Amino acid sequence: MAELGTVTRALLGMVRDGDDERALAGRICRACVDGLDVDGAAISLFTAHDSRQTLWATDAVAELLEELQFALGQGACMEAATTGRPVLVADVHRPADTVRWPIFAAAVVDQTPVRALFALPLQWGAVNLGVLDLYRATPGGLSDPQWRDARGAVDTAALMILGLRTDPDAGVDGAGGWLDHTTGHRAEIHQATGMVLAQLGIGPTDALARLRGHAFAHQRPLIDVARDVVARRMVFTEDMI
Amino acid sequence: MSGPAREHRVGQAFVALADTLVDDYDIIDLLDQLVGHCVDLLDADAAGLLLADGGGQLRLVAASSEDAQTTELLQLQADEGPCLESYRTVGQVRVPDLAEMSARWPVFAAAVQRAGAFRSVHAIPLRLRGQAIGALNLFHGVPGALPEADLALGQALADVATIGILSERAVRRGEVLTEQLQTALNSRVVVEQAKGVIAQRLGLPMDAAFDRLRRFARARNLRLAEVARRVVAGELEPAGLGSRGSRSPQ
Repeated sequence: MAELGTVTRALLGMVRDGDDERALAGRICRACVDGLDVDGAAISLFTAHDSRQTLWATDAVAELLEELQFALGQGACMEAATTGRPVLVADVHRPADTVRWPIFAAAVVDQTPVRALFALPLQWGAVNLGVLDLYRATPGGLSDPQWRDARGAVDTAALMILGLRTDPDAGVDGAGGWLDHTTGHRAEIHQATGMVLAQLGIGPTDALARLRGHAFAHQRPLIDVARDVVARRMVFTEDMI
Repeated sequence: MSGPAREHRVGQAFVALADTLVDDYDIIDLLDQLVGHCVDLLDADAAGLLLADGGGQLRLVAASSEDAQTTELLQLQADEGPCLESYRTVGQVRVPDLAEMSARWPVFAAAVQRAGAFRSVHAIPLRLRGQAIGALNLFHGVPGALPEADLALGQALADVATIGILSERAVRRGEVLTEQLQTALNSRVVVEQAKGVIAQRLGLPMDAAFDRLRRFARARNLRLAEVARRVVAGELEPAGLGSRGSRSPQ
């Protein structure tokens, strides 16, 4: 089995401490800069209203990269966000790598010291939560172990952000905990999410939040609530908690 | 199943899988067919396939049966069990009799006991360049080790799964294994959510909901994951997936 990478391990070991999304994004970005041999990182998230917002950037360059894409309406991060697939650019000075967004590439070359750029989508099923952007001031791709680590890190980070976003008791320090890896990937939870989504006419993230809210309010494990929904022992209605 | 009859079916299964691999196929659909072949060809009572995600956690991507107990037995192995061991050691794990199991995997053993339907378990790694990317799990209702020939066939089916995962959309520039694994795992999430939507809206059990989804995708040559995404997004009405009918042959 491949060893877990430094960043993946660091994220898996993080304890909930009442972070909001911004603070959490900051911790994830810093872990990436510490463990992946990149010079900067930023996380932009999609809010409930589908607008994008830079939650955290580790330095002015990372922030400028995000701003340029918002301003120009194109770039590696935009592409990753739209397609849900990672965009890896080993050298922004090589036109072959940047044909899909020439204006953004020209601006990066012109205004920043950035040479390599990696945009990794944070996904949960079909839901695109946001994008993690990493940059290097020197050209060159991620090594195989770094790439594996980066993928593990975004996978974990996506679950952390989803956990926070669907937290039933965001006001209390870490009350809801993370969505842990085992629970967060159970088939019954996805099926129940689909059923609640249909019962209430809401989106998947909100449906998961309702399931977690119910589990929390009744002090039951999420998986038990999900099984009750799947077995039709329980139906969610607008007014129930 | 007698020798020649089985040989014929093995041949058919691999021809069908090879056909699928030629087209622009959906990985979840392929893996789902594959566990179906496992049950069929290896006389298993249930089969499932787990893949490792970026965090090294095993996640269920295909199961021969939708029943809660089988799902549970497969999912439990994210934490312990023959699949996790097969994945970690990149080797086959044989548990001919469940009596031997409780000391090794107490939680898994207890769950198998509760399920009551299975007496032996085998796990076969999905191998790639000396590492494993997941494991195939076979459950039998009778005790006993699988014959070597069956294990070899199981390994061949597991290898087809690996090839399928690797080459899905492999022509896309810069794509690598981890991303394909991620795509498969993400697809699974959407497919499960879509099953929930269909089950709720049409009052169907999960396996029937999955069947509707799969038949609609196959009949129109669409990717299962894409059809699932449209169902979850509300772009495709479950009622529009077609009427009740017999399960399409695999």
